[in-house]
Amino acid sequence: MPHNALIDELPHRRMEAWKWTDVRGSLSATSGADTNSGLTTTCTPKFDLPTGLNVSRETLSTPDTPMGKLAANFGGDTYAVTVPLGFNASEKLVISGLNNGHARIVIRIDEGAELHVEEIHESTEAAFVNLDIRFELAKGAKLTRTILHTDHADTTRIATTQINAWADAEINQHTLSFGAGLSRFETRIASLGENLKADIHGAYLLGDKRHCDMTSHIDLGAENARIRQSVKGVVTYKARGVFQGKFHVRRPAQLTDAEMRHDAIMLSDTCEIRSKPGLEIYADDVACAHGNTVGALDESALFYMRQRGIPAKQARALLTQAFVAQSFDGMVDNTDFMSRITEWLEHNS
Amino acid sequence: MIKINNLTATVNEGQQTILNGLSLEVPAGEVHAIMGPNGAGKSTLSYVLTGKDGYDVTDGSVDYMGANLLAMEPEERAAAGMFLSFQYPLEIPGVPTMHFLRTALNAQRKARGEEPMAAPEFLKKARQVAADLKVKPDMLKRPLNVGFSGGEKKRMEIFQMMMLDPKFIIMDETDSGLDVDALRIVADGVNALRSPERGMLVITHYQRLLDYIVPDRVHVLADGKIVASGDADFAKLLEKEGYDKYAA
Repeated sequence: MPHNALIDELPHRRMEAWKWTDVRGSLSATSGADTNSGLTTTCTPKFDLPTGLNVSRETLSTPDTPMGKLAANFGGDTYAVTVPLGFNASEKLVISGLNNGHARIVIRIDEGAELHVEEIHESTEAAFVNLDIRFELAKGAKLTRTILHTDHADTTRIATTQINAWADAEINQHTLSFGAGLSRFETRIASLGENLKADIHGAYLLGDKRHCDMTSHIDLGAENARIRQSVKGVVTYKARGVFQGKFHVRRPAQLTDAEMRHDAIMLSDTCEIRSKPGLEIYADDVACAHGNTVGALDESALFYMRQRGIPAKQARALLTQAFVAQSFDGMVDNTDFMSRITEWLEHNS
Repeated sequence: MIKINNLTATVNEGQQTILNGLSLEVPAGEVHAIMGPNGAGKSTLSYVLTGKDGYDVTDGSVDYMGANLLAMEPEERAAAGMFLSFQYPLEIPGVPTMHFLRTALNAQRKARGEEPMAAPEFLKKARQVAADLKVKPDMLKRPLNVGFSGGEKKRMEIFQMMMLDPKFIIMDETDSGLDVDALRIVADGVNALRSPERGMLVITHYQRLLDYIVPDRVHVLADGKIVASGDADFAKLLEKEGYDKYAA
């Protein structure tokens, strides 16, 4: 298929869910450029597996989303990892090499098993990356997922994740993104059994003209789910941050306890934040809340810190770091994330 | 130590004059109190001296130990020993008190060309000062001022003051929000810092604080300038007679 015809298949701003992340528009503007070479390329992820796990290839049905179809067309067979019943590794499963092209990955965690997945979404050259990732969590399965995103400034990256969770499953996800030319991390969770416990936290720190979209859709279909979501954003220069969050609480999902927060700080007059938190509730015995704030750093707090002798730049960095860190309080080890945030702030405060 | 001459400051892009030709000199070793009615410009004076944005100095000068204070950034003034105990101390979410204070102390030391204070020495000093001020150790681990009561915040200001060891101290309504016991503890802390090298400016509405921190001079600030001055007994007279006769 020629590039131009492919570009026509991409999501665009007239689609409600993609109105702030216009993949078609962005790629049309660079049509023919090297940056689009990944459009027809197969991505070859690298899996560093805990002892006892293997990766295989499977032929799965084609998803019905535009990006899912492309991943199925160009990604080849799906990479599949199955974590057997009761498995609990001390080592992480690290997925890297996600630097150009399409790939599909499915990870199945069987009953009572636990897995820590660390995904490194990185490109050092301009690229197009499209990833379709699925997790299947059986009863009592526990997923810890850490996502680090450091892309070339001209890369386009779309990573769509579907997590299907059966009863008593637990999800603990933390995402740190430094954006790309255009990037979107979409997390879709479906609760298929009761007592889902999910913490879905993240932060984006964007400079230059970078773009990051953190979209989530939590579809609750069973009782007694507890969801906590907090996304923090820091944007400067001409960067653009996007947050779209949705809790869809179906009628059987009584006793749901769900909180969603998005808070963003704008460090320049020319940056941009777009945000759309949303609740759609059909059950009547639930506690659901969402909050959304966008603003500048607190000038009074900055003055207070400077009056104590902390130089303005350091005070701004300290305040911003403290703000972002709240998203990563619940991580087992946030040392790497925090040092990357500190480094970013040194250049962007 | 500090010599304020004909200081005039406006807000709202010059539309409102808050300080209107204020002159005042505080020599080293002395404690001066500023009293006056609401809206007289007391807090503005503290903010202009410490360099807060939003105030335009349109006339006058401030000489601070031989330097032009008004040309210095807020952090430069702090490194030169100027400390403001805020009327309403700010909450700094996510920044533990001890981390904040050690960052501040070492930033000041760096600006003065001194070596940073090592962690053990800092902790030892912090424990001692906290004990003196009856500051609970768990407060030092919490984010600065977050969830503290009004009195705790004021006590934390004095804790910071004693840790940073400033040369010139401005206390803006430090007594508000303090009960009698806390007031005595705070005053003991302040009095312990009185020395021939150190100057203090104590801003207060009420004479009560001055029973504990006895000033060398008392000034009345009204309509943006000093309109009357006297010794420590003058504060008692003001408490009795009020400020009406000094207001325009």
